[in-house]
Amino acid sequence: MSSGAVTANDNTLSDPRHRAPLVAGKQDYASITETVCRIAERDKTPRAWYVAFAVSASLTGMLFLLIGYLFITGVGVWGNNSPVFWGWPIVNFVFWVGIGHAGTLISAILFLFRQQWRTSINRFAEAMTIFAVCCAGIFPGIHIGRIWCVYWLAPYPNQMEMWPNFRSPLLWDVFAVSTYATVSALFWYLGMIPDLATLRDRATNPWRRLAYGTFALGWRGSARQWHRYERAYLLLAALATPLVLSVHSVVSFDFAVSQVPGWHTTIFPPYFVAGAIFSGFAMVVTLMVPARAFFGLKELVTLRHLENMNKIILATSCIVGYAYATEFFIAWYSGSQYELFAFLNRALGPYKWAYWTMVFCNVVVPHLFWFKKCRTTPWIMMIVAILVNVGMWFERFVIIVTSLSRDFLPSSWGAFVPTPIDVAMFVGSFGLFFTLFLLFCRYLPMVAMAEVKAAVSHGIEGHGH
Amino acid sequence: MTVRTMHEIASLDRSRRTDSLGELAPRAAKTAWIVGGAGLALAVLSAVFFDDGWRHFNYSYLVNYAFYLSISLGALSFVALQHATRAGWSVTFRRLNEILAANMPLMAILFIPLALSLFLPAAAPYVWANPDLAEHSPLVQHKQPFLNVPFFLLRSAIYLGLWIWMARFFFTRSIRQDVSGDPELTVQMERFSGPIILLFALTTTFASFDWLMSVEPEWFSSIYGVYYYGGATVGGLAAAILAAMAAQRAGYAAQSITTEHYHDMGKLLFAFVVFWGYIAFSQYMLIWYANIPEETTWYLDRQSSAWLPASIALLLGHLFIPFLGMISREVKRRKVLLGFWCVWLLAFHWLDMFYLVMPSFASDRFPLGLIDLGLLVGLGGLYVGGLLRTAANVALVPTKDPRLPEALAFENL
Amino acid sequence: MADHASHNTPDSSETRVAAVLGRFDTAAGLKAAAEKVRDEGYRKWDSHSPFPVHGIERAMGIRPTILPLLVFGAGLTGAIVAMFLQWWTNAVDYPFLISGKPFFSVPANIPVAFELIILFSALTAFGGALILNQLPQFHHPVFASEAFRRATSDGFFISIEAGDPKFDERKTAAFLESIGAAVELCRVPAAKPAIPKAIPWAITFVAALALLPPLGVAWYRASVKREPRIHPLHDMAFQPKYKAQSENDRFADRRAMRPPVAGTIAQGGLMLDTALFQGKDSEGNYVADLPVPVEESVMLRGRERFNIYCAPCHGYSGGLPEGAAGDGDPRSWDGMVSIRASQRALTGDGTWTPPRALHSDYVQDQPDGKLFETITAGVNNQGVQSMPGYAKQISVEDRWAIILYLRAIGRSRNAAADDVPETQRTADTGGNR
Repeated sequence: MSSGAVTANDNTLSDPRHRAPLVAGKQDYASITETVCRIAERDKTPRAWYVAFAVSASLTGMLFLLIGYLFITGVGVWGNNSPVFWGWPIVNFVFWVGIGHAGTLISAILFLFRQQWRTSINRFAEAMTIFAVCCAGIFPGIHIGRIWCVYWLAPYPNQMEMWPNFRSPLLWDVFAVSTYATVSALFWYLGMIPDLATLRDRATNPWRRLAYGTFALGWRGSARQWHRYERAYLLLAALATPLVLSVHSVVSFDFAVSQVPGWHTTIFPPYFVAGAIFSGFAMVVTLMVPARAFFGLKELVTLRHLENMNKIILATSCIVGYAYATEFFIAWYSGSQYELFAFLNRALGPYKWAYWTMVFCNVVVPHLFWFKKCRTTPWIMMIVAILVNVGMWFERFVIIVTSLSRDFLPSSWGAFVPTPIDVAMFVGSFGLFFTLFLLFCRYLPMVAMAEVKAAVSHGIEGHGH
Repeated sequence: MTVRTMHEIASLDRSRRTDSLGELAPRAAKTAWIVGGAGLALAVLSAVFFDDGWRHFNYSYLVNYAFYLSISLGALSFVALQHATRAGWSVTFRRLNEILAANMPLMAILFIPLALSLFLPAAAPYVWANPDLAEHSPLVQHKQPFLNVPFFLLRSAIYLGLWIWMARFFFTRSIRQDVSGDPELTVQMERFSGPIILLFALTTTFASFDWLMSVEPEWFSSIYGVYYYGGATVGGLAAAILAAMAAQRAGYAAQSITTEHYHDMGKLLFAFVVFWGYIAFSQYMLIWYANIPEETTWYLDRQSSAWLPASIALLLGHLFIPFLGMISREVKRRKVLLGFWCVWLLAFHWLDMFYLVMPSFASDRFPLGLIDLGLLVGLGGLYVGGLLRTAANVALVPTKDPRLPEALAFENL
Repeated sequence: MADHASHNTPDSSETRVAAVLGRFDTAAGLKAAAEKVRDEGYRKWDSHSPFPVHGIERAMGIRPTILPLLVFGAGLTGAIVAMFLQWWTNAVDYPFLISGKPFFSVPANIPVAFELIILFSALTAFGGALILNQLPQFHHPVFASEAFRRATSDGFFISIEAGDPKFDERKTAAFLESIGAAVELCRVPAAKPAIPKAIPWAITFVAALALLPPLGVAWYRASVKREPRIHPLHDMAFQPKYKAQSENDRFADRRAMRPPVAGTIAQGGLMLDTALFQGKDSEGNYVADLPVPVEESVMLRGRERFNIYCAPCHGYSGGLPEGAAGDGDPRSWDGMVSIRASQRALTGDGTWTPPRALHSDYVQDQPDGKLFETITAGVNNQGVQSMPGYAKQISVEDRWAIILYLRAIGRSRNAAADDVPETQRTADTGGNR
């Protein structure tokens, strides 16, 4: 693979003597600002945005109506029943929480690894994290049945002498997911302050200036402020890294601490974390490919960025495949007939269609990314990314439903059948996700301008030092 | 440090005749081998004169073998990962890791005593090879298709063969690049690094299942491979850092490996200490919580009155104390402090290996003795000797790596 | 929002110069200039850029912030709070068992502790950064400049404030020009604007409003309601099912919980074998033989159960016969009850009646079935229950085993010399040992 010059569209060269430029085209500080800000500053919202917003808003409306119906009628509107007491709501919860992990990984972990290419996508991915966590948090909240008692999960002094059970992973989830939501939001907002100041300073409309200015907190780019900002950013990144590992580990504990065959296996925590990163990056790619085209961000979010993300998708797919293989081997090795049966049942039992979908989407399809052509072609990566998300949803479905529908006592076995409400709420959650996301794209800076400028300042100014 | 231009520094090192150990290596290697031999002799003598000595010897041999193997494995994974991620900062450390990984052929030779122990009556430490035990344990019988001597030996040969190949793959190309400076070699190493990492993960996992987990044949844990890998990375990084310090002490690579590199290696070491702790905690907590007797026996042995102090020491010494000690930025930038923590972590990594294997030898007492010391020094001497022999005619820094200028010039935040 | 006022009017008595602003075109230029400003001795000054410029802290002489220490302290606090919370709520205030785990389970408490460490640290990092940066701060002299708008997109500035001891309107501006800046003066109104009178009133009003909810809650909690609760989910609160102990009009006895049909027997309760279960044959006569096989294991079981249930009163060897020496003295007996009676006798308290000697003819002549009935129902003489029934404590099989052992006791105290096995006979084998 020879070096080749950097063309306008392709900076995915792999000559070890040179680092590929982080942005394409001739960029300077003003052009970066202009590329990003013009999206939010457009006076007339594009019609396509309205159409997309209308669709997602109506799905969101459907979601909330159904939630109301659920509260009034009860949890029986879902397919949850004996023996599969955890059905789609928990699958959806784990699905959305997993997707959220990519944003934090891009923001925090890639930051700690000094991967400058993250600066074009981190704002976008963090926003995706927060919206995904919002969608995720809905499901455990509504599935408890008596939503008006949900505050009992918090350790507040009360006359019932009632405290939460701190020995339960479901309660650890409460702490983990709420901490994750809080820290992600803080990280996202802190990172946005300088960019909101940019929008404030460019705003001509006094209402816009007021809105952006309020949230920009009077930021003036002072070096002293930047110093503390950078330390806080580094600290938040260093905190968010173990946090993101812990959140999906705690989610995996929901299953792994039990004795249910197919659930109780020690590799769950790192396996779930890898799966979360896997699905999260797939969602980032799914959103980013159309967004960069539609919003004109191709020079900031280049093919190299997409290629790097696809490499991470490939790597995490391998980790997930490794986990599947290890689990299966240990299921046999352990000598536990229940454990071995659980795995054979997954592959050959009544839900084998779900299992093989999962294997195909998670372990087979991503290997297309060994080929550079596939890694750098937008439509191919869209298909792979969507299939990965499908596969990861099915992975949670397979884990939950197959293990519960057939566990120790054959006399207790039973099938799980989802209801239309299950399906509709899941679709509605996508509506909520996209509604929030479209609002973000329309009004907030989609790319971390300040960070991109810092990353490319060497390129712009030369080795002035 | 004043920031030189990348080209200045690169030419500085190239102007030194060589950064390789030269004639120093064979003398040092011979010393190492003599020390190694002495250690082995001590161990063998102790085995002869102490009660149950040979059984102790076999178990202890496995402990020390796993320890030194883990250092080479950690180094090998470091090299592969740095290639896969196209890292620039780590170029100066990569050769040392390649040398550590290149000890694989020696590890293959050192495996022979372990393989021979399978044919002994007591079959220590692999008690599943003892037909009497297999008769009485339905679980062991169930595992016979996997845990039988021929298949076990075949698998071991595959692991070692693949590791030797992987280490050679990177090492030979890297030293070839010292001469030719051909960037295509970097591209090739990068392209192969992905599949190599996959193979590495599978071989390391199954090697740890075979060589370490099967010591307790009725027990199992799917995260065991990851646990061993976490410890191996800690050991490999600590060893590489100490190797760099030793080389610089002797006057080599003085200007190539900078404080910035030590800082980065220290950060990685810190991160993997936390990673190890996370994996160890996951394994413990899940088994504790479900409380299934087939799984808890392993931990109950390690919480018995004889072993509890060691378990607590491992928790504190492998996780909490180094976490607090290494969290500060300054510690990772000062060689004395960083070196202290590397030695500390290697010691506790050795305790980790001891803790994994020895309770199967004696769960009612803490069996640390002369045999263990002898084998630690013995195998260590051989290991270091092997390293020095490999390093004899090789530059300690990849002098013509295309990313070397980047490595020399970079500064931490 | 006085972020960017309209153009300054020079030489107005209503404005004063609050800062001098110098603009640069590149980050490198900014850094070089910053070094010069620092070396010149200025203190109240700052540099502004759209992104953090690498190395500018050193160029300006900015000291590292204490934020990391604050965050570390917050993390430690989080750990302590989490551990204390979990310990106090689950192990002290309301301990309850969860699958046998200890009340204070350290492994189970780690995840929440970890999350609170991160949460406290992150809140401190964020809040600390804002507070140390003195944000929000919507007014600053630099916002008076229109050109300063570019500070957040592509402009690099140095601002030197009027509060600096070395500040001089003309000299400072000239100095900045000399190091390559495009200079501008920032003018702000000379007099500080007064706070409108409405603001304190508005704050008071809002504070008063904010008090209403807590007051409402307190009043509600302190008062008693005569009306029943509202049930927004009627079909959840009033479910079409019967709960235990409730009424059901459809039955004559109005009970929702129905007793079992007459003649219902629990599983294992069909005791057709009267010999085994009552010690009587089909005509109601006591059985003379054991209805269980006579084996050593049964004998040993009988001895074990006897020692547990019978020996406390009757003694381990079956007791003393009437008329023997020490008959009425509890100190001659070795059961737990008699030992206790001995202690009480020392202080003159307590009464004690010697139980029947089990090897006596009175007992040994009874048929096995009668013995069974005694163990089952006890001994009741004209309303005085002198021995309780042990039906609840001793299973049917065990009662027969005890009876077998009783026979052994009887045999042991009434043995003949011939009963001693050959190998164990000594010269002196006559009579009772």
